[in-house]
Amino acid sequence: MLNRASRMRHSLIIAWSVAVVIFLYIPTVCIVLASLTASRYFQFPISKWGLDWWTKTLTSIEVRQLLTTSITIALLVTVVAVFLAFFGALAFARHDWKGRSVYQKIILLPIFFPQSVLGLALLLWFNTLGLPLSWKTAVFAHLVWIVPVVTLVISIQVYSFDPALEEAAYDLGASRWQVLKEVTLPVLFPGLFSGSLFAFLLSWGNFPLSLYTTGADTTVPEYLYAKMVAGYTPGVPVLGTISTAGAVVLLIGGYALITLLRRTRSTEQGGQDA
Amino acid sequence: MSPGFRASLPVVIFLLAGFAAPLIAVTWFSFMPARTFSFAGAATLENYRTIVESTSYISFLWSLGLAAVTVVLLAFIAYPVAYGLVRVFGKWSMLVTLLFTIPLFVSENIRLYGWVLFLIKNGVLLGTIKSLFGVQAESMLFTLPAIILGMVYVYLPFMLFPMSLGISMVPQDTRDAAVDLGASRWQVFREVELPLSMPGILIGCLLTFVLAVGAIAEAKVLGGQQIIPITHDIEIAFTYAQNWPLGAALAVLLMLVVGALVLLVLRRFDLDVLLGRR
Amino acid sequence: MTDSTPILSLKSVRKMFGPYAAVDDIDIDISEGEFFTIVGPSGSGKTTLLRMLAGMDQPTSGDIMLRGERINDIPANKRPTCMVFQSLALFPHRTVGQNIEFPLKIRGEDPERRKARALQLMALLRLPEHYYAKNVMKCSGGERQRVALARALAYDPQILFFDEPLSAIDYKLRKTLEKELKDIHRETKKTFIYITHSLEEAMVMSDRIGVMRAGKLVQVGTPHQIYTSPTTRFVSEFVGDVNVIPVSLGARGSLRMAENGRELKPPKLPAGFGNGYLVVRPEYIRFLDKAGDADNAVEGKLYNEYALGSRIQYQVRVGDAVFVVEKLRQQPFSGKLDDKVIIGWDAKDAILVTD
Repeated sequence: MLNRASRMRHSLIIAWSVAVVIFLYIPTVCIVLASLTASRYFQFPISKWGLDWWTKTLTSIEVRQLLTTSITIALLVTVVAVFLAFFGALAFARHDWKGRSVYQKIILLPIFFPQSVLGLALLLWFNTLGLPLSWKTAVFAHLVWIVPVVTLVISIQVYSFDPALEEAAYDLGASRWQVLKEVTLPVLFPGLFSGSLFAFLLSWGNFPLSLYTTGADTTVPEYLYAKMVAGYTPGVPVLGTISTAGAVVLLIGGYALITLLRRTRSTEQGGQDA
Repeated sequence: MSPGFRASLPVVIFLLAGFAAPLIAVTWFSFMPARTFSFAGAATLENYRTIVESTSYISFLWSLGLAAVTVVLLAFIAYPVAYGLVRVFGKWSMLVTLLFTIPLFVSENIRLYGWVLFLIKNGVLLGTIKSLFGVQAESMLFTLPAIILGMVYVYLPFMLFPMSLGISMVPQDTRDAAVDLGASRWQVFREVELPLSMPGILIGCLLTFVLAVGAIAEAKVLGGQQIIPITHDIEIAFTYAQNWPLGAALAVLLMLVVGALVLLVLRRFDLDVLLGRR
Repeated sequence: MTDSTPILSLKSVRKMFGPYAAVDDIDIDISEGEFFTIVGPSGSGKTTLLRMLAGMDQPTSGDIMLRGERINDIPANKRPTCMVFQSLALFPHRTVGQNIEFPLKIRGEDPERRKARALQLMALLRLPEHYYAKNVMKCSGGERQRVALARALAYDPQILFFDEPLSAIDYKLRKTLEKELKDIHRETKKTFIYITHSLEEAMVMSDRIGVMRAGKLVQVGTPHQIYTSPTTRFVSEFVGDVNVIPVSLGARGSLRMAENGRELKPPKLPAGFGNGYLVVRPEYIRFLDKAGDADNAVEGKLYNEYALGSRIQYQVRVGDAVFVVEKLRQQPFSGKLDDKVIIGWDAKDAILVTD
């Protein structure tokens, strides 16, 4: 089907994309390399390899505290964000109502907003309300940005949801709650799942919002930043590698799970793509 | 009360409290006397006057200029990849998408630090060159190109995904029809492909521009304070200088620029078409 | 028109998708000015065939000849042919006028001549002149259809291809557009090659029809030939409701019904006939007063009736077998449901086919 010119074009596109992917992963590779150095300062080519800094980092109480803070924030953000965004997505994509197109644009505004400025604005706002800054205010700050993102992610699933399914369930005698439990939630599950994955990972990797809103508590990205600016140790790349690896494992695991789920569903339901 | 309105309430109320209110607070604060920390002062335009008389406009110009350069570079870098995702990679495009998604979830300062390790003297790049050729090359770290590299790098996915969404909205039939009616490759691209994928491309440009205007880490980590973006000025005012009203006024000016741009562009789009393909 | 070389000629055209032949060894000649329709159920390979003719796909083997010249390797944008897509593939960011002018603009014609030609085509297709500046997405289904046709005509192709353009349109409008299309064919005198899954649609418009099944062309003929002399059961059933009776050759040149062994008087028997199907169209079966009034007669029970507008269809059960009988509404008939009835047909009205 392809003639020579378009095969040529396709090869160029593939080559270019491979180059861009390599560009994208250069820093990650560098971080991993740096974490495997035994010496105090990074020098390439690495003269002494070693895992010393890994042991040091993994046994450090400070690091454990950081991980606990980051994970706690991310988990709370996930739960609240998915709950809010579920209804948000129904209003975004499922229902036809008067204010919808305005609402859809309001949802986008926090995404189309410089995060560092948002972080400072929230700092000022918490101060105005007299709220002491801690990891709890950081949860709120993360939500301001993450709820809209998750709403969009779930909305994409909601768009493909046929409202007639709910009507059919009512018609067959289900109550409002039963419809939600038996029809809406299971059908939208893949969207909710990707939504929670997004929520967790975006919170896990967030820096600009955390920077101004965590107060005395510290998340992993904040700690790394502080160490980068002053007092580099190879513990920085080690923790960076852990943070990256955590995201990769979660993302690939989640992706595999969702693929598996879709596949079993489509075989059960005769090829209906969710 | 319609079901749609009811369903929108949790998010709308949350955003009123978490997004609108802080922005109003910032705006209010920008009219307070300098170096105060309360809302109670008499309203004044003093902060704005200070800004006009200062050299802040240089930071503004740097931020806008860097963002513009980033957007233009990204448009050219991302388009072939976005096109490939939709039309060339086939079953591989899931994997490629995943590869471009992963970095989104790793804090940008960690990734930028990876670039420092790559570019720094005796780092991965220069160390390799030195050991292979025995040449000690000059590091590009802490220069303007390094900052631009960092920004292009960090915002690549934000350009790529809306763009591929836009390209995937061009029906195969429409392109076939154009070819059938005699159009050459280039004519199909110019007359059909590009205009029909424009919504996605514009959204990508807008998103990367807005995020790049708010960028702060790139200049700090890779630029070594060579260039001061406006976000840095705002941060300084809020932190070291302890002049919240001045910082608020700077933030308001930035918000005005960004807000005007976003509203102008977003007004033209039907999100149902873009996201849901109804 | 008297040119003896066919405008389009396919020689052993085949298209493989892996081990599977989507189009399997097709030979056909289409003459200048013909309205030729390819009919087949979905998955029969008709769209694949059309895409090869239009130059959007290349055949795996075989040749496609345009006026005697091989065009296999000529891409779609260099072929003097043009297609109307199933989705119509109108450019949504362009007005009606810009859509129609597209091929002229591509060819580099100047704007005034483009506009003149577009208006001329709009008049031909009965699109009001003020539609020229109308957004094409704001047009109705039938109007879009006309715009798509006008755009294809603006290319001034030697052959026009149609990929089921009417399939998504409601019945009444479709009937109107079918006739309009045939009128346009007369007006423009171009060669039309049309594909559809509806034989009914093909009958209305075509000079000749080719029936496709599983990648093969099973029968080619005029609508009359396809209707009255199908060569296979598949083709006969494609036309609409028919009675298909499995039969084998019986004693003294008669036919024996496979179901109950009853002897039937056959139409002219093809040489060497062993077994096959006797096809009788419902309108050739009539209700009889007594068994001797037709060559063949069976007794059964009137099970149900369906009003089809000008005709009424009846379901008659004969043992386990079901017969479909039709009569014109104005013909008198007093039978009621569950009545015993005798139905019959003359031997010459039945057709013998193989599978």
